[in-house]
Amino acid sequence: MIDLLAGIGRGMARWFAQLGALARFAFEALHALPRLPGAGRRVAGRILLNQLRFTALEAMGLILLLSGVLSYMIISTTITQLDRVGASELIGKLMVVAIVRELGPLLTAIAIVGRSGTAITAELATNTVLGEVRALEGMGIDPYHYLVLPRLAGCVVSVCTLMVVFDVVAVFGGYLAAAGIGGMSIQRYLSIVLANLTTQDVVLTMAKGLLFGLVIGLIPSFEGLAVRRGPTEIPQAVIRGTVRSIAVIFILAAVIVGVAQ
Amino acid sequence: MTPLLEFREVRLSRTRRGSAAWEPGAGITTDAIVSFEVRPHETLAIIGDGQSGAGLLAGLALGLDRPTGGSVLTMGTEIATLPRWEQLAFRRRVGYLPEGDGLLQNLSLRDNVRLPLRFGSDFRPREIEGRVDVIMAQLRIARVAAMRPAEASLEDGRRAALARALAFDPELVILEAPFEGLPDRTAAELLEAARGGETEHGGRRAVLITSPDLPALLRPRVDRMLRLVAGRLEVAA
Repeated sequence: MIDLLAGIGRGMARWFAQLGALARFAFEALHALPRLPGAGRRVAGRILLNQLRFTALEAMGLILLLSGVLSYMIISTTITQLDRVGASELIGKLMVVAIVRELGPLLTAIAIVGRSGTAITAELATNTVLGEVRALEGMGIDPYHYLVLPRLAGCVVSVCTLMVVFDVVAVFGGYLAAAGIGGMSIQRYLSIVLANLTTQDVVLTMAKGLLFGLVIGLIPSFEGLAVRRGPTEIPQAVIRGTVRSIAVIFILAAVIVGVAQ
Repeated sequence: MTPLLEFREVRLSRTRRGSAAWEPGAGITTDAIVSFEVRPHETLAIIGDGQSGAGLLAGLALGLDRPTGGSVLTMGTEIATLPRWEQLAFRRRVGYLPEGDGLLQNLSLRDNVRLPLRFGSDFRPREIEGRVDVIMAQLRIARVAAMRPAEASLEDGRRAALARALAFDPELVILEAPFEGLPDRTAAELLEAARGGETEHGGRRAVLITSPDLPALLRPRVDRMLRLVAGRLEVAA
């Protein structure tokens, strides 16, 4: 029994230590922002643009596909049922609450974790293993400035942008289903959807974009730079970064739902 | 003359950072306490294998690692005790060639050389390009400037890493195992470039070399050579 409790205690202590290290990493990254030297801003700006190209632009196709197919599936399967009970107006609520406010941010974030979060962890872990991070510090270049902050900013901007794209495409994908299966006109469809869309929905969606973007920028970077045992640890770091990012995103999504009720 | 680098009874032991398998200090078997100094214009070589702790010296001199005992003064300052931002600014005054070159793999050799100047100086872009042109021509890597480190030869990679270390024309240069795997003639050429030419007092720059060994051709070209064996620093024959 004592062994069991000791094991639980050790596990909890390790978990809290990792959480503390991540919190410290996040604090140091944000604290480094105002110290970015003027000359370094240009270099960091270029890395940011590169990150935006990779995370936002190149992921656009995937987001369009996900949002179009998801909204078409949900609306097409529900509209006939709702029509039967004379409650087709409810697709507006369904579209706004289920897709725009909840599934849109969640699926966008998961797609970006799978695509860019993994790449960030693998890249920074390789930088660490090859001694590039130590070389940067030795040259007087802060790895937070050169490696972390451009990726963090890139993820925040990309997730917010892709979330808006996801929601807009989802609304039109939903229209295709509503028009094709339920015979609904565009005017009626848009009036139903917009009537259900509140300022709180927009604010919550953007807050999620900001928070999920921070998570995707921070956790994979932290896991990549924390590699200590050598190249064989890189795949493990990628798995840790991906799983922890997804777990934190789901927990945050649940907390936001709870707070917003 | 005031030394540019001074180690005062510094304990070399497996450090926290050294716990990473590929970082210096991971394989230390015997703790050592060392004292030495590098004076202006002097080239000092400290020879010692992976177990001796010689690989820790550069990290300690640059304040990347904190000594577990004793003190390290670089240009009269204990870098490791400074706030993080000041440490970073201070390190730009010292040239550093890490073991294995430490070049960023996603940048060309030219961009690697340009990076410290673009990130840490107020030079205009034209001034930076001019300075990079001169250093790259001096180290004879202009023809491979566009290559990524993985595409370049070991020799060209090492030349680029030295060019990057010399970008700010520092007074003190620290080289970690800089000649490993290079032909003696290339090693001699790189050493001359690191010294920055001759003055009446010795090399224009002070140079500290830490390495498992030094090619025979280079031994007469260094001012002093010390060997770190069994936890003690001895004058090498």
